[in-house]
Amino acid sequence: MSGHSQHTVQSLYEGDQSKLYSGILQHHTDVQSPESKSQIKRIWKVFWILLVITVAEVIMGMFFSHQMPKALVAFFFLALTILKAGYIIAVFMHLGDEVSNFIVTMAIPITLFIWFIIAFLADGSFWLFMNTTSPTR
Amino acid sequence: MAQATATSITESKAWGGGRSPFNVSYGKMMMWFFLMSDAFTFGALLISYGTTRFFSAVWPDANQVFKSFPFMGEANLPLLFVSLMTFILIMSSVTMVLAVHAGHYGDRKNVIKWMLWTIIGGIGFLSCQAWEWTHLHSEGGWWGSFTDPTTPVSAFEHFFNHHKDTVMAALPAHGMQATHDFFNYFFTITGFHGGHVFSGVVFNILVLVNTTNGVYQRRGHYEMVEKIGLYWHFVDLVWVFVFTCFYLL
Repeated sequence: MSGHSQHTVQSLYEGDQSKLYSGILQHHTDVQSPESKSQIKRIWKVFWILLVITVAEVIMGMFFSHQMPKALVAFFFLALTILKAGYIIAVFMHLGDEVSNFIVTMAIPITLFIWFIIAFLADGSFWLFMNTTSPTR
Repeated sequence: MAQATATSITESKAWGGGRSPFNVSYGKMMMWFFLMSDAFTFGALLISYGTTRFFSAVWPDANQVFKSFPFMGEANLPLLFVSLMTFILIMSSVTMVLAVHAGHYGDRKNVIKWMLWTIIGGIGFLSCQAWEWTHLHSEGGWWGSFTDPTTPVSAFEHFFNHHKDTVMAALPAHGMQATHDFFNYFFTITGFHGGHVFSGVVFNILVLVNTTNGVYQRRGHYEMVEKIGLYWHFVDLVWVFVFTCFYLL
């Protein structure tokens, strides 16, 4: 009895997996197959990319970032951060393997965040400007 | 054969009902939506940190605040310990995605193996964070620290970049407030992230127990590993941004 109701709830929430997934996200059986091995190879490749980027960032932060113009440092670190985030989302979270409608559904709200960041940082530096030029201070 | 190919192409181009239009299950899509809302929460925290930093005349220097390593005493090793933490978290992300991969192939033995490594990585990261918090607390940093107006400059000047005269000149007027803000944000944001890591480890342990007991094998698929994997990768993703905002910039 309980086994039966569990099955109903499960199919309600998980659906028939064969109808849900295609491509890499499909369910396979042979873990030794060439496509399985190439997928594992891709995962390790991304690991090395992430590691190299992080080491480059740390070396930069340790030795060079203090002698460079602030804007250049910020651009360098933020570009590498977004590159790392892209690899994690696309490969590790498999978003790159999803259908494009789903990718767009996730990407649009996040990109609105860019404006949010610009607006608040601009507000912060305006505050500093007002504080340091105000005659009462 | 040709007919079958043609049918599958039409099927993938236009949605005819009877299957998920987004090619994902309900649970997985809800995990994505939850992660998006969580990204907004972390984003709001990091933006308020950035705003405060932008309107401060001075700000503590990461190479001065984070220069210690366990058992190395007073040695000046900027960013080395946090690099280790970052490495541990990236590594555990790799082992997680390998567990998800094994799940796609119904390979229970490998799911167990990689979930175990992921849990070990998560616990390792949390241990590192516990050490770092303890260390900064011993240097006087905590929520609500550095508020007493009579605090001497010598209590916080070692957090700042000594080589810049403009920074040293601004310290008596603005240094204490900046140190106060810095530690409030540091402990709030890394604490919120650490809470995510902790709950992720708990979820990973639950998934490991279920895998070992054969729950997913009986169910016919390992989608739960994939959903928890999404959460775990998100935690790694947030760390990438926390690492940049607190330790590099």
